[in-house]
Amino acid sequence: MKDPGPPGDRGPWWYLAVLAANMPGRLAAMAGWGVVHALSLAFVPAVLGRALDAGVVGADTSALFAWTGVLLALGCVQALADTLRHRVSVRAWLGAAYGTVQLVTRRATATGAALPRKISTGEMVSVGAADVSQVATVLEIFGRGVSAVVTIAAVTSLMLASSVRLGLVVLVGVPLILALAAPLLSPYRRREERYRELNGTLIGQATDIVAGLRVLRGVGGERLFADRYRAASQRVRVSGAEVARAESMLSGAQVLLPGLLLVLVTWLGARAVADGSLSAGQLVAFYGYAVFLVQPLKVIGEVAGETMRGTVASRRIMAVLALEPDVPAAGTARVPGPAPLTDAASGLVLRPGRVTALVASPADTAAITARLGRHAPGDVTYGDVPWGDVADVRDRVLVAVNEDRLFAGPLLPSLAPARPVPAARLDEAIAVAHAADVVASTGADAVVAEAGREFSGGQRQRLRLARALAADPEILVLVDPTSAVDAHTEAAIAAVLGPAREGRTTLVCTTSPLWLTRVDHVVHVTEGSVTAEGTHPDLLAASPSYASLVSRD
Amino acid sequence: MNARHLPVASRQQVRRYARVLLTRHPRALAGVLALHAAAAVSGLAAPRLLGALVDGDGAADTIAVALVAFVVAQGVLVRYAYLAAARLGERVLAELREEFVDRVVELPLSRIERAGTGDLVSRSTRDVEQMSEGVREAVPDTVIGVVTILATVVALMLNGPLLAAACLVALPPLYLVTRWYLRRARDGYLAENAAWTQITDGFAETVDGARTVEAYGLADRRHARGRDDIAASWTAERYTMRLRTVLFPTMVLAFVLPVAATLLAGGLLHARGLVTLGQLTTAVLYVQQLTGPVETLLYRLDEFQLAGSSLARLLGAGEVPPDRVASGERPRGTEIELRDVRFAYRPGQEVLRGVDLTLRRGERLAIVGPSGAGKSTLARILAGVDAPTSGSATAGGVPLTALPLDDLRRTVALVTQEQHVFGGTVADNLRMVGESLPDARLRAALTAVAWDGPALDVRVGTGGAALTPAQTQQLALARLILADPPTLVLDEATSLLDQRAARTLERSLAAVLEGRTVIAIAHRLTTAHDADRVAVVEDGRITELGPHETLLAANGPYAALWTSWHGPTPTLATTSEDDH
Repeated sequence: MKDPGPPGDRGPWWYLAVLAANMPGRLAAMAGWGVVHALSLAFVPAVLGRALDAGVVGADTSALFAWTGVLLALGCVQALADTLRHRVSVRAWLGAAYGTVQLVTRRATATGAALPRKISTGEMVSVGAADVSQVATVLEIFGRGVSAVVTIAAVTSLMLASSVRLGLVVLVGVPLILALAAPLLSPYRRREERYRELNGTLIGQATDIVAGLRVLRGVGGERLFADRYRAASQRVRVSGAEVARAESMLSGAQVLLPGLLLVLVTWLGARAVADGSLSAGQLVAFYGYAVFLVQPLKVIGEVAGETMRGTVASRRIMAVLALEPDVPAAGTARVPGPAPLTDAASGLVLRPGRVTALVASPADTAAITARLGRHAPGDVTYGDVPWGDVADVRDRVLVAVNEDRLFAGPLLPSLAPARPVPAARLDEAIAVAHAADVVASTGADAVVAEAGREFSGGQRQRLRLARALAADPEILVLVDPTSAVDAHTEAAIAAVLGPAREGRTTLVCTTSPLWLTRVDHVVHVTEGSVTAEGTHPDLLAASPSYASLVSRD
Repeated sequence: MNARHLPVASRQQVRRYARVLLTRHPRALAGVLALHAAAAVSGLAAPRLLGALVDGDGAADTIAVALVAFVVAQGVLVRYAYLAAARLGERVLAELREEFVDRVVELPLSRIERAGTGDLVSRSTRDVEQMSEGVREAVPDTVIGVVTILATVVALMLNGPLLAAACLVALPPLYLVTRWYLRRARDGYLAENAAWTQITDGFAETVDGARTVEAYGLADRRHARGRDDIAASWTAERYTMRLRTVLFPTMVLAFVLPVAATLLAGGLLHARGLVTLGQLTTAVLYVQQLTGPVETLLYRLDEFQLAGSSLARLLGAGEVPPDRVASGERPRGTEIELRDVRFAYRPGQEVLRGVDLTLRRGERLAIVGPSGAGKSTLARILAGVDAPTSGSATAGGVPLTALPLDDLRRTVALVTQEQHVFGGTVADNLRMVGESLPDARLRAALTAVAWDGPALDVRVGTGGAALTPAQTQQLALARLILADPPTLVLDEATSLLDQRAARTLERSLAAVLEGRTVIAIAHRLTTAHDADRVAVVEDGRITELGPHETLLAANGPYAALWTSWHGPTPTLATTSEDDH
């Protein structure tokens, strides 16, 4: 599906229209087969009436056979049209759902690091699960809506053709029924909305219990939470019963109102039969029409309901489509590298080919690295070119943080960088990150569960480090790369990282002396600005705030 | 993959459970059935009366009055039948989901610790939803369908058995195709669901890892994964669509066939004077009326199957075999002792290879060692989560995994890095260990963990204030203080705090936990420095055990570890500070 661009401030119909415009063929086929199906159904009472009049009352066996044959032929058309309509509806549903999932996925990847600040993960996920299906349902139900309308029109005109009076009764009666049933609809919708809300909360509660099950099973409180869930579940039950009360009025009315119309038609028809203006077969046909009309009327109600929900879903999808990254896409300047990277706000300079260490508070570290990585706007220059103007920023710099996640899939390919690299590079990265034992413990082809759940914190950290090293960017920023790793391993990693990154620019944000004694240059930042730089021993001697940050006594 | 996924209940189990559900409320069920039957019967009057009209039996006006009476009766009956069915359905549904949650919170500890909860999340959301749709829509429709079909068939027989026989022509195709379909549908829909879950899971992963995707330029890879998932979903969808492509036309024809047969047979019988025109009319209308309920029934079979497969997954959560059987032995004391403990997650790959350890009452033991040496496994065995593959892990002489869970919790508690903030107030997050704990004790526990988060009555977690990872850990530790078991196992429980905060927290924790046995696994050696004893775990064994000073003096692996971690210039730092 083509990206429709940002929705701007357009209404919820916009996205539904975008979807529709994407599959005009399918929609046409859906409506077309729907109409054929509806007509083949609508003609059944008429054929029955003819069969009774000509074949049975008229005692004409060949006419009886002929009309029965027509009935069977109508049945075949029905079967064909119904099946084809269904198939194209499924395709439309899936097309809309798949297309929408892809669109919102692309929006998520384009928004990047800014995503969690703009929309909660839970909200995004519910868009991806629930709203995607809902808008697809609107498209799917479109075909049924069209065929319902056509059916009503076809039946009405068939009736008008055989008896104007009865036809008019039905013609006035049907909208009257709709109008009479309408007031019953709004309490139902209100309660249904309330029910959905409570049910959503209930599901949230279940998810919460499941997500925290480890904790619950570990320290207790299962009963407390199960009881709380039970209470919420009972609230949903009561609300469900309220919905049922409103819905039961509706379903009673759906029997009663068309039923009364049916009686009226039958009564008028019977009188017409008695005075000879209508045949018995025609009376049966009228009865058939009046019974049959209930179905398309119900469909129209359903279409209205689903469409209403669809507009809500569409609005939420459009909110996602409107997301923009904090930092505009890369610039166009082709700059030869390597060059020093300078963060004007803090005064930090990364010199090419060196391993620099940054000792700063977590907040300062986060702010500086976000600017260096172009995840946040800021006055950063590469050589003398503004960082934002450089064409291939993403290829040149990588900021690896501990919040980075490992993606599900086969282990080795999930560590490999986006660009194809020789297998040896990946092996080397794994060796430098001291992650070979992790890879060996599962096997290189093993499928990693989402977020690398089966690994311990330290193992995950080494796998992440291996992935960052394998990407081998010109400028690599590692934030606390070994905070969950034991001292031995940390020392070993710090010892081999420098040689492995030879000729490239590296920044390690850490307070561990194991790193600080091994890097080329240490920079200390307080309150957002560089306050001291030099070697670890120099800084220990010169800066009390540095000493207190790195001290381990 | 199988180890990670929870079991799914078998068809027999699902059927048995469905029967139990149905028979649990016999009176309500009987009421629903009676009301629906009455509604169905009153709906059968119209064709019969129309037949009478056609035959000229009785005045049109009288018949019209009777028709009105039946229509009104049907309307009223349908309303109450619907209401009764929905109320019963909501009740059953509530029981169903509550029982599911009951099963979930009873899941074996070791299973959750090792397998995670990803699979359960989809069961508690998607499957519960699917199930409720089934119970709210498919079940009542099925009940109505069955009752209406039965009533209509009886009415057909009463109207004229000869004509009724004509609708039998529909049975063979319906039976054959439905059987063919049902055999394939369950697996087809399960595959379809699984494929759809892949799509939403992949999406959730992309959303959750949006920063990573941007930093590593993985957008194309994520899009490709999405395309693969969609392709797989399309394959699954196409399969069920093919099933329906056979089912649907057969159904439609199976509806038209009996109408045509009744018409033809009736016409021929009428010509011989065996049936009246009215009887024929009534029969044709009845056969036509059957279409609705039969169609609904078959249409709902899909949803029934879906609800059935969801139910199978909901019930499956209860099928995990318990990981501990209380032996009934009463422990003498609470001292934990490990004897030649070996442990392997996979046969032949031992993670622990013969660990002996006797904990001293009230001591603080630090466990250190390289990543992957088996420290976390050791923690799980000490906390009674996993039983050793061989050897023994006992408290007061009784194997930890032979203690009832409540007793185990009173003996030892484990806090790991993996924490969760429950949706609710800060107090709710603490009171789970004891519902009657007064606020003052909650506050005291928070003070002990140097709590810097929101006040007790502030909502946190889903839909509330967000807590930092460090605050999440503080909350977990406060919970532990309140639970107050004699032995605590902390597996990197302060690793997400920065070094300084972690040290402060550990010291204030030590004061609160005075007299408790604390086993702390930490990669920060300050923890070891502050402990009474240090155990160095390497390659599945304890290679050194003793107080910090003794181990330093021994100049073994721990001493090497300490020197490298502490940095070669520790004295400089103090001197420089002294200078100022």
